[in-house]
Amino acid sequence: MLDRGLMGTFAIMATLVTTIAVAPAQDIAKYPDWSGIWRGDHGFQWDPTKRPGLPQQAPLTPEYQKIFEDSLKGQEDGSQGNNVRFTCMPSGMPRTMTVLFQIEFVITPATTYVVFSTNNPVRRIYTDGRDWPKDDEPSFTGYSLGKWLDTDGDGKFDTLEVETRNIKGHRTYESTGLPLHEDNQTVVKERIYYDKTRDRIIAEVTTIDHALTRPWTVIKPYMREKQGVPWIDLICNENNPHVLIGKENYFLSYDGYLMPARKNQSPPDTRYFNQTKK
Amino acid sequence: MLDRSSIRAIAFTAALWATIVGAQAQEPAKYPDWSGQWHRVGGTQWDPSKPGSRGQQAPLTAEYQAIFEASLADQAAGGHGHDLRFTCRTSGMPRIMTAVYPLEIVVAPKTTYILSEYVMPRRIYTDGRGWPKEVEPAFAGYSIGKWIDEDRDGRYDVLEVETRHMKGPRDFDVDGLPLHKDNQTVVKERIFLDKASPDFLYDEITTIDNALTRPWTVMKKYKRDRNPIWTEYDCSENNNHVAIGKETYFLSADGYLMPSRKGQRPPDAKYFDRAGK
Repeated sequence: MLDRGLMGTFAIMATLVTTIAVAPAQDIAKYPDWSGIWRGDHGFQWDPTKRPGLPQQAPLTPEYQKIFEDSLKGQEDGSQGNNVRFTCMPSGMPRTMTVLFQIEFVITPATTYVVFSTNNPVRRIYTDGRDWPKDDEPSFTGYSLGKWLDTDGDGKFDTLEVETRNIKGHRTYESTGLPLHEDNQTVVKERIYYDKTRDRIIAEVTTIDHALTRPWTVIKPYMREKQGVPWIDLICNENNPHVLIGKENYFLSYDGYLMPARKNQSPPDTRYFNQTKK
Repeated sequence: MLDRSSIRAIAFTAALWATIVGAQAQEPAKYPDWSGQWHRVGGTQWDPSKPGSRGQQAPLTAEYQAIFEASLADQAAGGHGHDLRFTCRTSGMPRIMTAVYPLEIVVAPKTTYILSEYVMPRRIYTDGRGWPKEVEPAFAGYSIGKWIDEDRDGRYDVLEVETRHMKGPRDFDVDGLPLHKDNQTVVKERIFLDKASPDFLYDEITTIDNALTRPWTVMKKYKRDRNPIWTEYDCSENNNHVAIGKETYFLSADGYLMPSRKGQRPPDAKYFDRAGK
């Protein structure tokens, strides 16, 4: 039988080992495991709980409601209205969080990268405690600062709070051309977390924009990609049949000729070709 | 004073502690620091050590040398030749590694990501997987990597990569230096830091392709910026190139279609004539 002195020694050393062994593991393990491929569990409309277009009931100012309705009318006639994504321009924030295909979250202590299977730029969400830069070139993806939260107090981060500013335009929420303000003063706030009851990553996205009468919050869920389904690159510019010449959009036929996109559309003005011949 | 039993207990526990902490410390520390922003050193020609175009002395087969010459001739006349990058299509492998715009390399234990504002991201899987039986071809291909500790200092320093399953068409650089249309390319890489100057990274890239008479190895070099500013590059924004069938045109400043070479005719509007009937 062990004497009291030896037992005491073991107790102290066991505590010491446990403390030291846990400390480094805590550092690595404090971030959530969002690894793997996720897929958008929603349609192309901005608010997934409503149908696209007017049923979105977007809280637009009268000025931007008119721009939106003009866009819808134009699309009925065959144009793209206010939407420019057909030219393979990036979606921009916040629309880039509508993921029709695949998304991946790559978490490092200093930065969380959000990677898309379409040609939307990688998002960098800086979590290294930096402040907003004084001079930053605006971009469609904007500049994002994030902060990890441990909302359930279990010693592990579970929620990423993000704010994105410095976004350039022209941007829309969805392909109906639902507009954001041309002043590009949009601020996007997000809470991203894993919902274990549904096995989904959830992005609560709140948009603050001068085209809106109030902040607009939607919920974007992402589900795990099916086992065995690999990452698939979708290159927008590959076989894109849309052609934009000035303000007119056309189609390319299967045999490589220009086609009208709407009834009675004239072919493009070839004034510069006439000048070349002189 | 401690008795012998207590001393033995302490010694045993200390040894155990060192093993546990040592093992955990090795995990995060065993990968190299490739953080930051990597800028290419040299021009955008495929082999940076040689001039562009024919100066590359690419080991092309006779058939593909002819395709290359035709590409150069078309470009001299105002076309794009074999190069399709003007359509904003991603470069594909191996051309991605020219790093026209800077790269970022994110090293995680199971995957190393190579990110760029200019092209689709690369994923290099280092989780020990084998080649999948079925793969959807991609311009970036499918890459499997293995970390090597060459100097046996307990830390990885070389990433060996093999990439297969690329789709096309692809070319090596803006001159339209072609890869084979059979898309059987295999690309092998060794990526490593300059030990003497760890702000330089090398990628020794060997391309095995049926357009070549032999494997072609080039050395790409990148310089690190540890305090990067990332600038988004959106090829489709203000892209003034228009491809219609096999012809390419320009957009003028005032939004009209323009010829891209002398004597070029406007696009055939036959479907507009039909629509008007």
